[in-house]
Amino acid sequence: MNKSPSAKSNLSVSQRLATLAGAAFLGFGSVLGLGWYQNNRSEAALEKAIVAERGMRTAEEMRFAGMELVLIAMDTIIDREERKIQPDRAAQIKASLELLDAKTPALEDLARLLGKSSVLPNFKADFAELRKAIEIDLKALVEAGAPADDFARIDDAIDGGGERMNAVLTELTEAAADLALERTDEARAESKHALLMQAGAGLFAMGGMLALIWFHGNVLRRGILGLRDSMQRILSGDLSTLVPALGRGDEIGEMARSVDLFRTAAVEKRALEQSAAASRDEMEQERDRQEAEREQAVARIKIAVEALGRALNQLAEGNLAVAIREPFEGGLDSLRRDFNDTVERLSHVLSSVKENTASIDSNGRQMRSAADDLARRTERQAASLEQTSAALEEITATVKTATERAEEASRMVDETRINAEESGRIVGEAIAAMARIEGASSEIGKIINVIDEIAFQTNLLALNAGVEAARAGEAGKGFAVVAQEVRELAQRAAGAAKDIKALVMRSGNEVETGVKLVQETGGALGRIGANVARINEHMSSIVMAAREQSTGLHEINAAVAQLDQMTQQNAAMVEQTNAASHTLAQDAERLSELVGQFHHGQARETAIRAAAPAPLQSAVKAGSVKTSAPGAGAIGNAKTVSLRKPAAAQASTRPTPSPAKALMGKLAGAFGNKPGSMPSATASGENWEEF
Amino acid sequence: MSNAIKQSGAYLEIVSFHLGDQEFCIDIMAIREIRGWAPVTPMPHTPPYVLGLINLRGAVIPVIDMACRLGMKMTEPSERSAIIVTDINGKLVGLLVEQVSDMMTIRSEDLQPAPEIIPEAQRAFCRGIVALEKSMVCFLNLDTVIAEELAQAA
Repeated sequence: MNKSPSAKSNLSVSQRLATLAGAAFLGFGSVLGLGWYQNNRSEAALEKAIVAERGMRTAEEMRFAGMELVLIAMDTIIDREERKIQPDRAAQIKASLELLDAKTPALEDLARLLGKSSVLPNFKADFAELRKAIEIDLKALVEAGAPADDFARIDDAIDGGGERMNAVLTELTEAAADLALERTDEARAESKHALLMQAGAGLFAMGGMLALIWFHGNVLRRGILGLRDSMQRILSGDLSTLVPALGRGDEIGEMARSVDLFRTAAVEKRALEQSAAASRDEMEQERDRQEAEREQAVARIKIAVEALGRALNQLAEGNLAVAIREPFEGGLDSLRRDFNDTVERLSHVLSSVKENTASIDSNGRQMRSAADDLARRTERQAASLEQTSAALEEITATVKTATERAEEASRMVDETRINAEESGRIVGEAIAAMARIEGASSEIGKIINVIDEIAFQTNLLALNAGVEAARAGEAGKGFAVVAQEVRELAQRAAGAAKDIKALVMRSGNEVETGVKLVQETGGALGRIGANVARINEHMSSIVMAAREQSTGLHEINAAVAQLDQMTQQNAAMVEQTNAASHTLAQDAERLSELVGQFHHGQARETAIRAAAPAPLQSAVKAGSVKTSAPGAGAIGNAKTVSLRKPAAAQASTRPTPSPAKALMGKLAGAFGNKPGSMPSATASGENWEEF
Repeated sequence: MSNAIKQSGAYLEIVSFHLGDQEFCIDIMAIREIRGWAPVTPMPHTPPYVLGLINLRGAVIPVIDMACRLGMKMTEPSERSAIIVTDINGKLVGLLVEQVSDMMTIRSEDLQPAPEIIPEAQRAFCRGIVALEKSMVCFLNLDTVIAEELAQAA
């Protein structure tokens, strides 16, 4: 239950509840343990009391048995006249002796327990003496009928022994009774002590638990109350005070930290609002300042605008010597300088315009005559273009016919080639057929050989038959005739076979010649085929060339048509140019009048004179001198024009790539001619630009 | 045989054959058989005209090249050549000839003796000449042509 100072605030609620439960458990456990222990101890004391009591009872029994034994012995002595011991007395004696024997060990234990073992040897000796007197001596005396003195002696002995034993036993009994009493008291004292102990332990446990409940309750209550106060303060707007119990390690500490987060967030928000208000104020001031500056600027601009207005009015009236003398304020002064510069430059330009107007006038006249020349030449060009177009139509028709013919020829050549190939195949078949004929001829030869052989054998047989017939003499005559006939037949057969053989041989030779001829024919046909293929190639290239020619002619046609159109447009433009050059002269006059309206300072005029280009004047002079010669005039004119509008002149005179030239190139390629073999065409192409 | 020749008016049957360009003939009665050419087995120590032996149905008989025997070039045996098996004084002899040409019956008058300018020894080969329309045929005396040789060989 001892807690360190940090544990005071760092224990969580569940841990605190666990400490309470642990204290209760400890209190109950100690009460239970104490009860059990004390119970055990009083039990042991009671046990000892019982043992003492039991020993007392045993001593008592033994005392009674001893007394009974003495009494029986006395009775026996009294009845000595019977000269024997009565059986029931003997049995009682025996039983008493046995009881005494049996209880002796218990008596020894008791004596040891009481600490009086010293009396035991006397007791045992007395007991043995008594036993001997009663069991042996008395029995002997009774049976012998001994005199009364002996009986008196033995009676004394028995009495003495019995009394001594009795005294010992009585002493032991009293001691045992005392011991039993003592032990009982002891047990009672123990149980009283145990009750006191248990009550003490229970009270201590209850006190501990109460203390713990009070302690934990206080800690929790203080934390929660502190938090509540702090949250109320934050709600009411007091953000400066820190939240208590931030350092605590339990749930209350966590809650406190959360609340502190809320507080810091509120503080930041307040700071932001303050800074926003400050910046708003600054902007307000800035705006006021700018307003004042703007009013000043407007006033300055007004002054400048009035001065500029006056100067511009003077300029509109034609006074080029105008200038603003007094400077403007601030950045507006550059405006004044710019105006002065502009007026100065304008005056320069106007004086240049005046100079140039004269030269425009003279050039306009030159252009007029040049335009007339151009119109004449354009007419001639149009006429020759028409002729060209007609000639091209004819050429196109011719080329088309040529193309068709060439295509037909190509088809025919194709057929020829196919036929030649077919012929080659047939020649091959013919050669094969010849070979088959040769084979058949050799077969025939073999058969003929067989026939020849047969004829020979027949001949031999007929000869033999003839021989036999001759030997038979007159009787064989007829047979001889038959044999002769057979021989002739055989000879004819042999002759025929020989003829056929010759024929077959000849036919074989003929076949061989035929084969050779057919092979030659095949070779010739193959050459024809190859030639036909070459012809075919030539024909197809001719056809291709003709087609290209045709397309080229189409292009030329289109180009000529375009040329025609352009010539027409050129003619129209020449007329326009003519009209324009007439108006140009009038415009130049009006221009000089207009420029004359402006008057400017003498000093500036001289400066402009000095800056005017000298070559321009000379060109003007040359143009005016050489107007009578149209060719030279044109060249001079072109020079002048190139000075004025070079871009326009370039664009109008630049030729498009000549389609005719392209066609020439194509045709030359198609027929395998060298491009250099057409110098006239190239020359004409070069001339195109001039044209 | 000689009797038969001498009988006038009697007919004589002959078999003619070719040796080279010449034509000869022999009496048909001397012939036992005519065979086609078959290869012969040569014999050692024989004159060049004895070609060798053949087997005729079990009997071994010599074969003589008649052309060589009559002093002409050796015959080149071919399939068309023939062996004429003759019976000369009871002995069988094969004669190789180029070609058996004909079998004729002539009258004994047609057999003319050989001209006497030919020496006797040579004339003994020929019993006579048969003059035909196209050619002349020498009738061979087999007894002298072959028999003497056989006797010598024996």
